[in-house]
Amino acid sequence: MNHPTDTGDGTDTTDAVVIERTLDAPIDLVWRMWTDGPEFARWYGPPGASIPIADIDARVGGRRRVCMEITTSDGPLRMWFGGEHRTVDAPTLLVYSEQITDEHGAPTPDGHLTEVRVELSAVDDGTHMVMTHVGIPSDSPGATGWTMAFDKLTAALASGRDPS
Amino acid sequence: MAATTTEVVRLDETFAALASSTRRALLARLAQGPATVNELAEPFDLGLPAISKHVKVLERAGLVRRGRHAQFRPCELDPAPLRQVSAWTDRQRATWEASFDRMDRHIAALQANKERDPR
Repeated sequence: MNHPTDTGDGTDTTDAVVIERTLDAPIDLVWRMWTDGPEFARWYGPPGASIPIADIDARVGGRRRVCMEITTSDGPLRMWFGGEHRTVDAPTLLVYSEQITDEHGAPTPDGHLTEVRVELSAVDDGTHMVMTHVGIPSDSPGATGWTMAFDKLTAALASGRDPS
Repeated sequence: MAATTTEVVRLDETFAALASSTRRALLARLAQGPATVNELAEPFDLGLPAISKHVKVLERAGLVRRGRHAQFRPCELDPAPLRQVSAWTDRQRATWEASFDRMDRHIAALQANKERDPR
């Protein structure tokens, strides 16, 4: 599950989700998909979810505030995500933090802080996109290193030593 | 994206417990099979009290269970929290892939409209 990725600035992303895509669209349009609230709301979220609110202030230090609505058998469930833009280099690099918040944008006390990094480059047939979602903030103690041992552990577990 | 608050709290506890090379070494040892605190302490220069402390952190994070045999109380690895860590990345991956499929379709629709109705 974990593949070490050199992001070029020394950040260890061994615990990250990395997805690459080539999109059939000019780079400026793909950039807008991430930085324009109404556009972002059109595609973001798991199947069945809708995004009634997406306030995106795409400047360094500018906030992101996104509401996701999921229809459950108990009625609609609303979840809020907030964050701050850390790097905004149009149209090639966007970095923002993300965590679960309440509806006013205040982080919940246990809000697990993550970081999303979007790298875009123009290619012959459109735009190449690399999205990296880091589960542990890169400045947290132990963000580097522990995953190696973790991989060893899961390998050991997979090889049959499953105590449960 | 979607995760319940308890799952999130649990993840943070797991990450914190794993943020120590000593504790990771203890878990790696326990992945080989149960061991008492005395056995766990053997390869380390640290004293028993220090090892006990580390074991308690792992216990609180749900990564280690203690046996009920009062005298030895062997420690045993509980992989459930580790599976949750890997479940987090799996879930994120699935959500992003689905989102990007939607982005693809949305872009295609935008481009088609533009061709039909050039401004």
